[in-house]
Amino acid sequence: MKTIRLLLVDDEDHFRQTIAKRLAKRGLASDQAANGNECLSILEKKSMDVVVLDVKMPGMGGIEVLRNITGKYPKTEVILLTGQATASDGVEGIKSGAFDYLTKPIELEHLFNKIIQAYEKIRRLDAEQKEAEYRKQMAQQMIVTERLASLGTLAAGVAHEINNPLAIIRESAGWMRQLVAKDELKDIPRREDFVKALDKVEKGVERAGRITHQLLGFVGKSESAITEVNLMELTEEAIQLVTHEAQKREIKIVRQMEPSPDTIWSDAYQIRQVLLNLLTNALHAVNSEGIITIAMEDFGDSQAITVSDTGQGIPRENLDKIFEPFFSTKSPGQGTGLGLFVSRGIVEKLGGTIEVASKIGQGTRFSIRLPKQLKKTDDYNESRGENWVEKIKSRFSE
Amino acid sequence: MIKIPTRVLLVDDEKDFVEMLGLRLAEVGENVTPAHSGQECLQVLEKKEIDVVILDILMPGMDGIATLKEIKKRFPLVEVIMLTGHGTTESAVEGLKLGAFDYLLKPAHFGELTTKLESARKRKDEQAERIRKAEAKLLLRKSGDI
Repeated sequence: MKTIRLLLVDDEDHFRQTIAKRLAKRGLASDQAANGNECLSILEKKSMDVVVLDVKMPGMGGIEVLRNITGKYPKTEVILLTGQATASDGVEGIKSGAFDYLTKPIELEHLFNKIIQAYEKIRRLDAEQKEAEYRKQMAQQMIVTERLASLGTLAAGVAHEINNPLAIIRESAGWMRQLVAKDELKDIPRREDFVKALDKVEKGVERAGRITHQLLGFVGKSESAITEVNLMELTEEAIQLVTHEAQKREIKIVRQMEPSPDTIWSDAYQIRQVLLNLLTNALHAVNSEGIITIAMEDFGDSQAITVSDTGQGIPRENLDKIFEPFFSTKSPGQGTGLGLFVSRGIVEKLGGTIEVASKIGQGTRFSIRLPKQLKKTDDYNESRGENWVEKIKSRFSE
Repeated sequence: MIKIPTRVLLVDDEKDFVEMLGLRLAEVGENVTPAHSGQECLQVLEKKEIDVVILDILMPGMDGIATLKEIKKRFPLVEVIMLTGHGTTESAVEGLKLGAFDYLLKPAHFGELTTKLESARKRKDEQAERIRKAEAKLLLRKSGDI
């Protein structure tokens, strides 16, 4: 049993001390106060679980003390002690929020049991509150996930519909370009303006095409191929792909990878996409002479990769938004705002987690954690629902 | 060198796309026939000699894969290049297994498309050549027998 923080309040010193001694023998240590003021000043310094409070005291009466306690310390339970003649005070006390009352002369056994009961009530309320908070948090998280999922579906639909007209624009612009190149049109007026405009059309189509492809890549779920993956080799491959750019900008890449004999079952292609995205983001985040650290760790049933940079860090108000689609701080045309959105989608589809921590002026750290065995989940929302129930169960089954 | 036009059958349900790409291919010297569905594609193949079919995968009605199967069954010499609009690399791979020559992601680069067209055409010509040689050999043997 956890220690109960107990406070005995009674103006009769002898009575109070005897009770304290006898409770101590049963393993219940307590603080003592001789009047209401003393009781309240102790509570100000030290929080209590249970207060055993005499009703009839000179100065501030028990009921007044009780109202003070329930008002200020909702997590403290009060057991009132009343005299034979003043049992009505006990009822009044319960109305004012006391846990219960005992009539003097009290039996120690009774008091002891009441204290335990009061304490159990506190613990139960505490657990209920935690559970409620947890539920709320999970519900919020599910809303975000569902919102992202439906956004993804919608976006992919739009992307697909846009691809066809894009192809028409591209071919039309290409056709015009061919026409302009013909001998018979060699000397048309303002030819350069014409060609320049065609360039712009083609660049615009190119840009729109990149966005639609990324969006479709996010939803193209059925394409995933699960194989045995050596995460360290995969990470090394991804690093190789950005090494050239890093060297060019004098950015140092540090590896902190402990070789693990284990492999994981996952989708190599998609993980590589995530790693590349994280590495590219890190490269964009740091100035020259910055450092990017890639760490790998084995947790038994999962493996984690962390990509840290020494860049400017992400402001707190942006941290929540970075996984949302189309959120980008890069200038238009530089970033699609889909990299992290897609990465998160991939990692979660593969049963893993992605987390970010950032400090302004110090840098940012992204961690992905992937399970060694991929659980087959047909419906990813459903699997989340199950996790949710399991998490709550494991948290509150003691 | 005079370019021999490749006889291209361009199949896509997007009429504007077919029209524009058709104009471009014609401009670089190909002989283009348009079609806007799988059925229309097969009808053309019955009437006209075609070297290469450029075939969209996602079409209403008979889709690209079904059309490809029919083409390979009835006109095995005709080469097919698949156009995948979606991130449907899967269907492209399926197409390759069913005998398509290659595939391109839409929107495709024109240069890439013409390069693939040339290679497809070359393969078809070589195959036709092999068949001719084999037939000639057969004929020679038969006449020797006589």
